[in-house]
Amino acid sequence: MELIESAIELKNVSYRYPSAVEPSVKNVSLIVKKGTFIVLMGATGAGKTTLSLCLNGLIPQLLEGELTGRISVAGHDVRKTAVQSLSRVLGLVLQDPETQIIGRTVEEDTAFGPRNFLIPLVEIKQRVNQILEKVRLKGYNQRLTEELSGGEKQRLAIAGVLVMEPEILVLDEPTSELDPIGRSEIYETLDDLRRKKDLTILLVEHSSEEVIKKADEIVVLNQGEVAWSGPPTELFRNIPLLGQWGIRPLPVSQIGWEFYEKGWISFDEIPLDIPSAEGMLRALLPIYGRWQRAVQGQSMDMILKQETHGPEKVNAVQVSDLIYQYNSGQPALRGINLTIESGQFVALIGQNGAGKTTLAKHFNGLLKPTSGEVSVEGMNTLHYDTSELSKTIGYVFQNPDHQIFSATVEKELEFGLKNAGFKSKEIKERIEQVLHYTGLEKLRSVHPFSLGKGERQMIAMASILVLRPKLLIIDEPTTGSDWAGVQTMMALIRKLHAAGTTIVMISHDMDLVAQYAKRVIVLKDGGILLDGTPQDVFSHEQILLDSAIIPPQLCRLSSQLKDILANETFIESSEFTALFESGEKRGCL
Amino acid sequence: MLIEFIPGDTLIHRLDVRTKMFGFLGFIILSFLFKDPKYQLLILTLTGILAFWIKIPLRKVGGMLVPLIPIILSIILITGFTFAPERFNQVSSQTILFYALPGDRLGATVGGFLMGATFILRLFSMMIASSVLTLTTPMDDFTQFFHKMKVPVEISMMLTTAIRFIPTLDKKRRLIIEAQKARGTKFNDKGIVGPIRSYIPIMIPMFINSILMANSLSMAMLNRGYGLTRTWTALREISFAPRDYWAISCIVLLLTVAFIVRYSLHLGVL
Repeated sequence: MELIESAIELKNVSYRYPSAVEPSVKNVSLIVKKGTFIVLMGATGAGKTTLSLCLNGLIPQLLEGELTGRISVAGHDVRKTAVQSLSRVLGLVLQDPETQIIGRTVEEDTAFGPRNFLIPLVEIKQRVNQILEKVRLKGYNQRLTEELSGGEKQRLAIAGVLVMEPEILVLDEPTSELDPIGRSEIYETLDDLRRKKDLTILLVEHSSEEVIKKADEIVVLNQGEVAWSGPPTELFRNIPLLGQWGIRPLPVSQIGWEFYEKGWISFDEIPLDIPSAEGMLRALLPIYGRWQRAVQGQSMDMILKQETHGPEKVNAVQVSDLIYQYNSGQPALRGINLTIESGQFVALIGQNGAGKTTLAKHFNGLLKPTSGEVSVEGMNTLHYDTSELSKTIGYVFQNPDHQIFSATVEKELEFGLKNAGFKSKEIKERIEQVLHYTGLEKLRSVHPFSLGKGERQMIAMASILVLRPKLLIIDEPTTGSDWAGVQTMMALIRKLHAAGTTIVMISHDMDLVAQYAKRVIVLKDGGILLDGTPQDVFSHEQILLDSAIIPPQLCRLSSQLKDILANETFIESSEFTALFESGEKRGCL
Repeated sequence: MLIEFIPGDTLIHRLDVRTKMFGFLGFIILSFLFKDPKYQLLILTLTGILAFWIKIPLRKVGGMLVPLIPIILSIILITGFTFAPERFNQVSSQTILFYALPGDRLGATVGGFLMGATFILRLFSMMIASSVLTLTTPMDDFTQFFHKMKVPVEISMMLTTAIRFIPTLDKKRRLIIEAQKARGTKFNDKGIVGPIRSYIPIMIPMFINSILMANSLSMAMLNRGYGLTRTWTALREISFAPRDYWAISCIVLLLTVAFIVRYSLHLGVL
């Protein structure tokens, strides 16, 4: 038998951060073969980032703490080789591209690594051009790094590491902060890299749809330990297993799992993509299907009617002919007309730069119209300060770290209430209530920065909820959260909506948008492209494609099954399984 | 804020960074030689011509000057009243215009006001000269300059990263202000404590974010081999061209003339 050289070898590796009680990585043994594509998955805090820092020696060389076990990377002992030297063997791309870009121009930044190794200028130039082409940034040499888009920055960060020609590339959630376009750019780049060079890739990732086809193997970490490893298809068909480790399942496989449990299909037949799901449904419908379209359609109409005949007459948001122009630039919003009634749940979608955030910032007066009018809850934003509007309009920003400044969670929640001038008794009551509502009770006197990202996001949310806003604007509430975090956050938003709060959510996560929002507004180039129910909006696959939006998996599946569903668009897996309600064999349809 | 490099192809753009630094030094010496505002005006005109030559973005410079107006006025007033007549050589400068306080105290001298005018003109020519320098010189040239002057790599690295992160931090600052505004922070509180208190919610996240960023920046730099050797490959080799020698000769000539005017002819004093 031929001995296949291993790229990474971990043996009984454990690591404990200096101030931590529990180790973050426990007894991990792992062998990554040369030329493979491994994906590391698991919930937040499972130790994925810690493990990747161990691989290039940042642990233990930069970060202190207790490291035991043996780590060898392409034959080098990580403890004995300097991080800088290891960087020519193993390239590590960290989460936030912003802090990995060192140069002012693209060329200057890419050249940073080779310059440190005193590679002659001529060769550096050659390598830089080569690598920039590989990451699809050809011709960007003189562009200022500051002006790149998120996806471009991330690709530049990858280029900066690749230019040192490592054998192994480790990427820590490179797409978590990107829009769908940025994400697909990164994945296409990774594909290219794999094809052109036998590069070993270890990718830490939350999302599932992209990795299934690409990964050779998935390693799941759970509380610092390797919980599972094997081929991706096996993992993603096993829905209960995914739930246990906080990994988001694919919607189509959820449908498949139900059928598997009923014994209609075998484990290997659980679909992982749309064509196979389509095939499965088409095959099963004649045998087990119960045609319920009429009933389904009616209930959908009912929901819509309730929505439009809300009890209150005051509109939450009324926008007329809104044009907004940043200083001396192109107009960011061109003639928006929009009415959001009280109690609606609206999702704003569109690619980066389409004007979603610009529009939302008009709702709480952070931006004032260049021309046109915006009135929220009956107040014209031109005549009110953001601080006044903040009492009725809540705005939760994407990054909680931009607002947290207090030493305890409780104090953080107090801030908005004090600004609004509430009495201390009222403040206490409200904090108590919101702590209970958001499940932060136990953490009330903890320092917010000692908590995880998901919890900090919840604190940011709670600090707005104490003000009891009638209209709540949430900008990307789930970026960087794991599946459990996403579900908690979305459940909370749904609860608020049920209690009568008007919700405006900005999101790139189409599955969530389809599942939770009652109205979807698609923005493109500062104008409204589509506006309607999720079913309606997501059925316009072609128009959406123009603004780089891919409808959620189940909507795409519905459109494949047009002939059966009579042009109905389903957004929940239960709607599909409802087609099989009786669960008994009925013979041919 | 700092005016950044704008690519161009004028003679000044093409000059070596060392020549430009020498020229900048020359201007500083020149403007400190003379106390007479007439001479300062001449120097200002000279820098103005240079600025015009490289097509300086007037709006940016204007934006820098406007906030300085109160300072300018106070400088003139302070020098006007505080410079005693004995400090001037020329009789015309010793003339006292009027007294601010009864009993012939705190007199306003002609020389004092002229001195104030000199200070301001000097300030302007400095600002323009430094703008000309930074606008026509890419950052990497400065790093090269430090390198040639034997400044340690760490320091020049620190300077370049600092400049790279100015826009990033500025963006962070704007996002933080927006997030706190959305929670009802008012930035126009009255009193002494008010303004300070309203900046705490901005400053603390700013510090925390900077520390977090610095942390991952240091990781990223190590990841890319920084610190393996104490030096690195220069991206562009700077070198003198004939035009640099011509430019340096002109500057030296100008300085010599200025020294003769000032010390042999005793002109340009107050």
